[in-house]
Amino acid sequence: MSSQTIARILDAHAQNTLLNTPAPPLTARNAGDLSADSLYAPIDERMIETAATALESGQTHYVDVPGIAPLRAALAETLTQSHGAAYAQPNVIVTAGMQESRFLTLQMIGETVERVAVPKVVHPGVRKALGVRALKLDMLDVDAQMLPTLDTIRATLQGGSRLLFLESPSRLTGAVYSAEAVGQIAALAAEYDAVVIWDQGLAPWTDEYTSLAAHAADRTVAIGEAFPGSGLGSWMIGYIAAPEALVAPMQSQKQIMAICTSTAAQYAALEASKLYADAQPSRRARLKVARQSAVDALGAAVIPGAAANILAVRAPHTQAAVAQLQAADGADFGAPDVLRLTVSVETALPTAAIMGG
Amino acid sequence: MANPVKTGTNLLYALIAQARSYSDTIIMGRGDPDFDTPPHIVEAAKRAMVEHHADYTPPEGLLSLREAIAARVQRVNGFAVDPATEVVVTNGGQEALMLMILAALGPGDSIIVPEPNYNTYHDALKFARADKISIPSTAATNFRTDPDKVRAALTERTRALLLVSPNNPTASVIQRADLEALVALAQERDLVIIADDIYDLFIYDDYKHISPASLPGAKERTLTLNALSKSFSMTGWRLGWIVGPANLMARVRELKAAITGGTSIISQYAGIAALTGPQEPVQMMADAYKRRRKIVMDALDEMGIHYGVPQGGQFVFADISFTGMDSAELAEKILTDQHVLVYPGSAFDQERAQYIRMTFLQPEDKLREGLERMRVAMKKIMGER
Ligand SMILES: Cc1ncc(COP(=O)(O)O)c(C=O)c1O
Repeated sequence: MSSQTIARILDAHAQNTLLNTPAPPLTARNAGDLSADSLYAPIDERMIETAATALESGQTHYVDVPGIAPLRAALAETLTQSHGAAYAQPNVIVTAGMQESRFLTLQMIGETVERVAVPKVVHPGVRKALGVRALKLDMLDVDAQMLPTLDTIRATLQGGSRLLFLESPSRLTGAVYSAEAVGQIAALAAEYDAVVIWDQGLAPWTDEYTSLAAHAADRTVAIGEAFPGSGLGSWMIGYIAAPEALVAPMQSQKQIMAICTSTAAQYAALEASKLYADAQPSRRARLKVARQSAVDALGAAVIPGAAANILAVRAPHTQAAVAQLQAADGADFGAPDVLRLTVSVETALPTAAIMGG
Repeated sequence: MANPVKTGTNLLYALIAQARSYSDTIIMGRGDPDFDTPPHIVEAAKRAMVEHHADYTPPEGLLSLREAIAARVQRVNGFAVDPATEVVVTNGGQEALMLMILAALGPGDSIIVPEPNYNTYHDALKFARADKISIPSTAATNFRTDPDKVRAALTERTRALLLVSPNNPTASVIQRADLEALVALAQERDLVIIADDIYDLFIYDDYKHISPASLPGAKERTLTLNALSKSFSMTGWRLGWIVGPANLMARVRELKAAITGGTSIISQYAGIAALTGPQEPVQMMADAYKRRRKIVMDALDEMGIHYGVPQGGQFVFADISFTGMDSAELAEKILTDQHVLVYPGSAFDQERAQYIRMTFLQPEDKLREGLERMRVAMKKIMGER
């Protein structure tokens, strides 16, 4: 007996191209997988010990919706130090990973504004999050490095968008906005009284970085993975850092869709926060070397980017290359004929195969 | 006076914040078991941190966990699901709840909700821009959901039926005859059944839990939620699941990928250990809840408070209308005077303002002390009237 109700649900689902956008895996599926958002990273034993000790001492119960207090404080401090905005614990929500950060910010701030603007080239997780519940969208044109231009940002604000979603570094190419451009984005956001969701998750992989939060903390909702590179990719932990008034609705939504973030991940991240300042620069330096040798081999095919952990190349016949290389498909980001490869120090990038197409 | 603007989840959070400001609060409202997670599960998590910390975690969850879930569903709930296509792992029952609502309902669709109900269903429906059709019940009938009332309430836009058994906060268990009638109605009127089985291992007296999907013909239209939070005292791990027909589960998977991506790898390995390891801890906890339930019922009897006899779950829903007070006001008074937190029914919905929810999730000595303090507070309150 077939159900009309279910048929109707499936029909609407099939038409939801945003929701059905394929997304790269969060972590590598196997040793040769270069498509993952998060690179393979060994985990420091001290993180395991802290997480295990917490569980053994009974941290197996619900904790506060926005996260355990010391982790929120540690994230606030790290973000304050690295991005020059004055964050405190009440500004921070610990999320169950980057996708929850995308979803909570886009949907809960998005529902308060008339229109939302997102880049035409953006992580597929953004399209997926927007596919859950309809919002009025404007799509921002991007430049050669896949970042929305200032002109298109100005135009969308003039057209009525009051929430912008921007990635810096780009999740496809690793390109970042210059300090000057960030200042101009901040001025535009202020002029139009807009809020900006600022995905800075890949910032720890860049040498020079300006967060929008440094210029316009009062209208920036910064999101990212918690302590990337620490080996927590599969533990699922991220953050949102926002003005307190914006925290409340996102926290309420987190309560009704997850209650809190798993305690094991939170305690491991807490330990990671202590190790991070010492560990991250050398991790980044090693990846930079690995990435540079691939850039040298590939030459003009590489799309310039500043994040050491990813590399985007223009590659014709992308479909075949995606399959052969296990690369992330730029088409899923909105950029056909581009491949994204995760850089790691363990595996040399298969430059010959990329060149071969 | 309780703040009149605070309702639902906000009201609860205000009371919890007040409760935390005292050093000697006894919380008798919150749905978090006092038992810590059994040690063999913690041990398995520790191993996973070393051996599997970087394993790929697909949105639907590890296949080995989905297999363990399918085996559990067959064993406990009495129906078969294909681990490859009919199981999605979630961040606790809470994410499962949100996903089921989003999967089944679009803006303007409506769902039958027996009331009172777990308050976040209301919030999830609001998020999905779907409407609820409330089917009220009372302590006098032990919070029975009457299938005839459900039939009478259906509209053109009704697409789904919510069945939470044992129910939170009422602790009522849907009886076989009612369940059969409700499932038949869902078939007749082509409704998706959203089943919440999270308390299925905690059943009292001679009651029996029956999963809606285990009834003939129901599985193909039923999404069923469960989680390890209550059964294994794993609330902090955030591990749950949805099982259902492959066609709807494909949608659930995309929604899961869209709202959180995957589920923490460590919690998933802990889940495998819970489902495939020794089940004695669950029995031990169930036995403890059985003893505590009696302690609470005896104390309420002594205070002259009426309640629905808990048929399952971990709480009792008690009628305080004889006080002439709103439950938010009463809860605040008991908390302020005796530092005992009970949950006001108005946190579940305004229509339930004459009820309070009390859980059995405290060690027996603490539970007795909390009840004694509550008795003192009630005596004072009634004396003031
Ligand atoms: C009926 C019901 N469903 C779902 C949940 C969610 O539980 P969790 O997310 O902790 O697994 C709860 C929690 O109290 C509940 O009472």
